[in-house]
Amino acid sequence: MSSEGDLLHVVTNDNIPEGRKRFGRAIIWGTAGLTVLVAALQVMQATGQAEFGFVNWRPTLYAFCTWAVALCWGQVLIRGEHGKRTLFVLPAAIFVAALTVFPLLFGLLIAFSDWNLSSPTGRQFNGLDNIRQMWTDPFFWNALWNMVLYSAAILVEYAIAFGLALLLNAQIRARKFFRVAFLLPLMLSPVAVSWMIGKSMLEARYGPLSRLARFFGVENPSFFGSPEIARATIMVMDAWTYIPFMMIMILAGLQAIPKELNEAAKVDGANGWRNFWEVTFPLMLPVSITAILIRIIFKLKLADIVINVTSGGPGGATDTVTSFIFREYRERSNVGYGTLLAFVYLVIIVIAMTFLMKLADRWMRPRT
Amino acid sequence: MKVGAYEVMQARMSRRRMLQGATALGAVAALGPVAGFRPASAQENLRAEILKIPGVGMGSPTDADWQKVGEMCLGATKASVAEGEFAGVELTFMGLNNQNLHNFLFRGFLKPWEAYTGAKINWIDLAQADYNARLQQSIATGTVDFDIIEMGAPFEGDTAGKGLLDEMPDWVKTQIEADDLVGYLQPPVGTWDGKSYRITIDGDCHTFAYRTDYFGEGAIGGATVPTTWQQVNEVSKALIGQTDPLTGQPAHGYLDPLKGWGGFGMYFIANRAAAYVKHPDDPAWLFDPDTMKPRVNNPGWVQAIQDVMDLIAAGAYPADQINADPGTTGFSQFLAGTGSMLMWWGDIGSSARTSDTSVVGDVVGFGINPGSTRRYNSAAGAWEETANEAPLMAYIGWGIYVTSRVSGDEKKRKAAWSAAAHLGGKDLSLWTAAYPSGFQPYRNSHFNYEEWEAAGYDRAFIEDYLGSNADSYNHPNAAIEPRIPGIFQYYSVAEDELSKGFAGQYASAQETADAIAAAWEKITDQIGRDSQIALYKASLGL
Repeated sequence: MSSEGDLLHVVTNDNIPEGRKRFGRAIIWGTAGLTVLVAALQVMQATGQAEFGFVNWRPTLYAFCTWAVALCWGQVLIRGEHGKRTLFVLPAAIFVAALTVFPLLFGLLIAFSDWNLSSPTGRQFNGLDNIRQMWTDPFFWNALWNMVLYSAAILVEYAIAFGLALLLNAQIRARKFFRVAFLLPLMLSPVAVSWMIGKSMLEARYGPLSRLARFFGVENPSFFGSPEIARATIMVMDAWTYIPFMMIMILAGLQAIPKELNEAAKVDGANGWRNFWEVTFPLMLPVSITAILIRIIFKLKLADIVINVTSGGPGGATDTVTSFIFREYRERSNVGYGTLLAFVYLVIIVIAMTFLMKLADRWMRPRT
Repeated sequence: MKVGAYEVMQARMSRRRMLQGATALGAVAALGPVAGFRPASAQENLRAEILKIPGVGMGSPTDADWQKVGEMCLGATKASVAEGEFAGVELTFMGLNNQNLHNFLFRGFLKPWEAYTGAKINWIDLAQADYNARLQQSIATGTVDFDIIEMGAPFEGDTAGKGLLDEMPDWVKTQIEADDLVGYLQPPVGTWDGKSYRITIDGDCHTFAYRTDYFGEGAIGGATVPTTWQQVNEVSKALIGQTDPLTGQPAHGYLDPLKGWGGFGMYFIANRAAAYVKHPDDPAWLFDPDTMKPRVNNPGWVQAIQDVMDLIAAGAYPADQINADPGTTGFSQFLAGTGSMLMWWGDIGSSARTSDTSVVGDVVGFGINPGSTRRYNSAAGAWEETANEAPLMAYIGWGIYVTSRVSGDEKKRKAAWSAAAHLGGKDLSLWTAAYPSGFQPYRNSHFNYEEWEAAGYDRAFIEDYLGSNADSYNHPNAAIEPRIPGIFQYYSVAEDELSKGFAGQYASAQETADAIAAAWEKITDQIGRDSQIALYKASLGL
């Protein structure tokens, strides 16, 4: 038994012979070498340097799987019980690495490539050209600015959601019915919302909302006629879908507040507004911040409604980064540039969310 | 035939009318020898017989009908292939499954072919939305896994241009009677560098649809239907403030879609531009074939964009037109009684009379793309005060192609071409033109109205509906789009820039057109200018 390392939880008296350890190392390194060799041969064939008769990339996949099995087995051979404990994690780690890290690396490779699917030359590494293109691409920056505007609208959504949550938390008639009814928009697919609301109810000539507007004296009701109105309409449609989500989170938070606190405030003479502003709102801050952060994440993914209703128009006024990437990738087969935009957007989101969470952390720290 | 068009006939065809037609046909057949008529040839009989399956007005055809038609049209195959000759051959066919048509029909048509030849066909069915991505990825990753493909001509640049297609053998040309194809489908369409690759099974073009109640003596749109884009704009402006005679709502003129449609929206501004820039002496009108320099910012194209901007400025469009794509202008506006003039594919003509939401069925007429009183000559760099017409063959139409996967195996190659030729056969194509198939008529022989009438079709409808197509197809100055790699990338980016221009983000039509040209230059550079030039020239037959 080993006399070093963590001995507290070791129950087996492993006395591993040197030969077994050597065998363990041999199968790990042997299969690793085999994987590298097969991959190298396949790369050579793929790049036209040699011909080995490979039909597809499965040999490399099989070699990798062999190495993964050998790595796991080798842990037990080399490290005994410690190795067995490693097996609880290692297969999952390899699986995650294979399905996450490799595609990520492949994605990075594509992001720094000039790869238009229609180009006869195929994928060509082009360094930072895609970043330079992005830097001077007015469509991308316009879409990014739209995302800032869309995200800013969350504050209004939050206020409405809070109001609705307070309403549903109060002793009103048919409270349960309203809770379900208010939640319904969240259950709709954004694509359904696009067609039902954007394309049908808001249709300028025969849509019910247009008729209603005409009834109230608007001569030529238009919901997408100008960039500002179109953007506002998209914001409203998205808000209508997702306000219930914020509302339900806030409602859960409201119900968790002990009633004694509000009652104590009342006894101390606080009116309804003071009660809300000094007691309820501060207590709701953690829930509110969480709801807003999750909502921002949802908002940054906004694409389906835009793609279906306006295609980003008029003149890019409603475009989102995701809908722009969709057009770049799907309609223009511009795989390299589209992938780079997706990566940059990911990095921007990660940085922005980290910053917001730090900020939220500071706000939520108990006041002293 | 498009599904809608067939439904028109079903709706209009009564049992009495059917019996009348059948009786008349029977009488003619009986009288034939007595009255001195020549007996109908075997082929004429066959054509009349297949048009009876299942019979106009007798419900939608089923798989059994498709198989029966396939069996009856097997004559050409039997003449060139021995029974069981392709035993052991397996082919993979990639096509669409739109509206349960396309591949579904092909399966039925080819079942008797499989039984006779002994070959087996495996099917890859794709939704239209997945088609482009699947094809592009197969090409880009070198994983072409199909031997026969149903493909639109715009993709020939991506396939034939990259050597992925097998050249059509001469016996196939003879079997399918390629000379019968309408004018614009004759070479260079379907050919690359003088080699033929395509068995055409469909035709496509935009035709002009107008409201007959807007035009005529005393009508609000004027005495005559506009025949030039200049007149279209004049009428559209003159209609501002007037009332639609059918709906009582505000009247509108031409309906331009101002929003993109995944690249397909480009065809609609191109309808206007073709009249200005498609010069009869020059097959090219989107790019300069020697340099791939875009012509989209030449004065002719700029005029087309300016025409639209003028109508926007005049307030001639319905509210929210800036958010109207071609689907909206066609189905939500024109068919619902908004607007009086429209360019679209054949679907509008047929849907006008069958769609539940259509209110214009009895007041719709057809014509070819309006022309222009002057045209721009790119070679001379100047306007010519000469009238010009140029119908746009938008999307060109579907075809069957054989991939180079079979090139090395002569038996497999012959089998693939035999299957493709069976689908593109002259007689079978009459059936696909007449019944729901997803395909438009595309042969001169399809416009023999007597054949349709004898089969029970309403002659007036067929002449009106198909006549505009026939006139467009055979127009000597038809505008045919470039069949170069990535053509829809050009269209897609143009839609983005046009959207900005129409929203007023560019100072002028010229600035909008310049932005499109700059974006097109970038795409050309990315795909490869030299190869694009070579492929463009090849596609033009230069």
